[in-house]
Amino acid sequence: MAALFISDLHIDASRPAIIEQFLRFLQAEARRAAALYILGDLFESWIGDDAPDAAQAAAIAGLRALTASGVPCFVMHGNRDFLLSGQFCEMSGAQLLPDPLIVTLYGEPVLVMHGDALCTDDRAYQRLRATVRDADWQRQFLALSVDARRALAGAARAGSQAHTAAMENAITDVNDDSVAMALRAAGTSTLLHGHTHRPAIHALEVDGRPRTRIVLGDWYDQGSVLRWDNNGPELQSLSRRREPGS
Amino acid sequence: MKQLLLTFGMLLAACLAPTFAADTSSESKTAAKPPVTAASPQVQVVTSMGNFTIELNAERAPLTVANFLAYVDQGHYTNTLFHRAVANFVIQGGGFNVDYTPKPAPAKVVNESGNGLSNVRGTVGLARTQDPHGGNAQFYVNMNDNAALDPNQTRWGYAVFGRVISGMDVVDRIGNVATGSHGPIKEETPLKPVIIQRIERVPSS
Repeated sequence: MAALFISDLHIDASRPAIIEQFLRFLQAEARRAAALYILGDLFESWIGDDAPDAAQAAAIAGLRALTASGVPCFVMHGNRDFLLSGQFCEMSGAQLLPDPLIVTLYGEPVLVMHGDALCTDDRAYQRLRATVRDADWQRQFLALSVDARRALAGAARAGSQAHTAAMENAITDVNDDSVAMALRAAGTSTLLHGHTHRPAIHALEVDGRPRTRIVLGDWYDQGSVLRWDNNGPELQSLSRRREPGS
Repeated sequence: MKQLLLTFGMLLAACLAPTFAADTSSESKTAAKPPVTAASPQVQVVTSMGNFTIELNAERAPLTVANFLAYVDQGHYTNTLFHRAVANFVIQGGGFNVDYTPKPAPAKVVNESGNGLSNVRGTVGLARTQDPHGGNAQFYVNMNDNAALDPNQTRWGYAVFGRVISGMDVVDRIGNVATGSHGPIKEETPLKPVIIQRIERVPSS
């Protein structure tokens, strides 16, 4: 049995193909897994546990069926869904993970992160990250009515549309020094993260020791999953085209 | 409130991901059907759930039809399975023995998907591996208009080489059986095996 890692699904009502593929994944492959880890940005946006829309509710129901079948599911916050909280856990049966975290996989300790904290070249984003992860900011935001939060999110979206074109492909990649610092602090040989939408397995060296950085892919055009079993990690994309393959 | 709005705007701008391109492929309901001629060979597929007849289009898919008929004449399809049944998509078979061992089928055929025949409901196509020219004996019947299986400018398609001319109700029944994990096949396979007892030529009248 393998542990499965996914991230950056960005589930949203405007993307039914992703929802359908995710639900299929939960019903088929994930059922046979030892555990499912979702390393951030399961959802495109999350304005609070009290306001899931139909698309989010469908994903939560899928997770619920998985966890009810006995497969543990762990969810890490992303930069989009950092407000996921206890009620989401109750609805889905999933457990929230701290970021960063060291997970031991078949005897190997692995540093697991969403990955946005490693993108330190984007200083404006790091300031923003600190703000929105602040407990007071979150309390203030969540104290607003659902309608007010929706309106805020909508207004912010509309207001940011001018930036959209320029920012579309502007997810900054990780900073090498930050990666080295994180690995050094954790004392692991392997770092596993998502966020950058640049799926790959990188070999690198930190302090004269060989290390590995594994990056999960997003689900925009296909699914992306890392399977980790006795034989180690394997990064695979899941085709969204149904084909009569032989 | 204003601070919140600003922060939220920055957040959305800062981490905006590439926009999603919705799949808007519209599927043609009026794709070309092969003309019925006396020269179009026919085969009967005898299954554990009933029979259906395929008319082969040797004019549009000469290599695929020749390859398929060679497998028919060898008796390759005798006691093989429809190992995949997906309602509103395809039924697929001819590659596994009834004990779910893969049946060797060494003769491959060049991809003829550019022949102008579309994967509309009732047409029969050649399954294949990721290799565009990797098709051998496994075939499928379209239960729906599957334009996504037709070739486009950037990728090979799946070659249509015939169409069901009678017994489409049998195909529909096979395509709607209960499926799941069975034998070595993990999904979309009939829980109660659907057996291709044989495929035989229909004598031309």
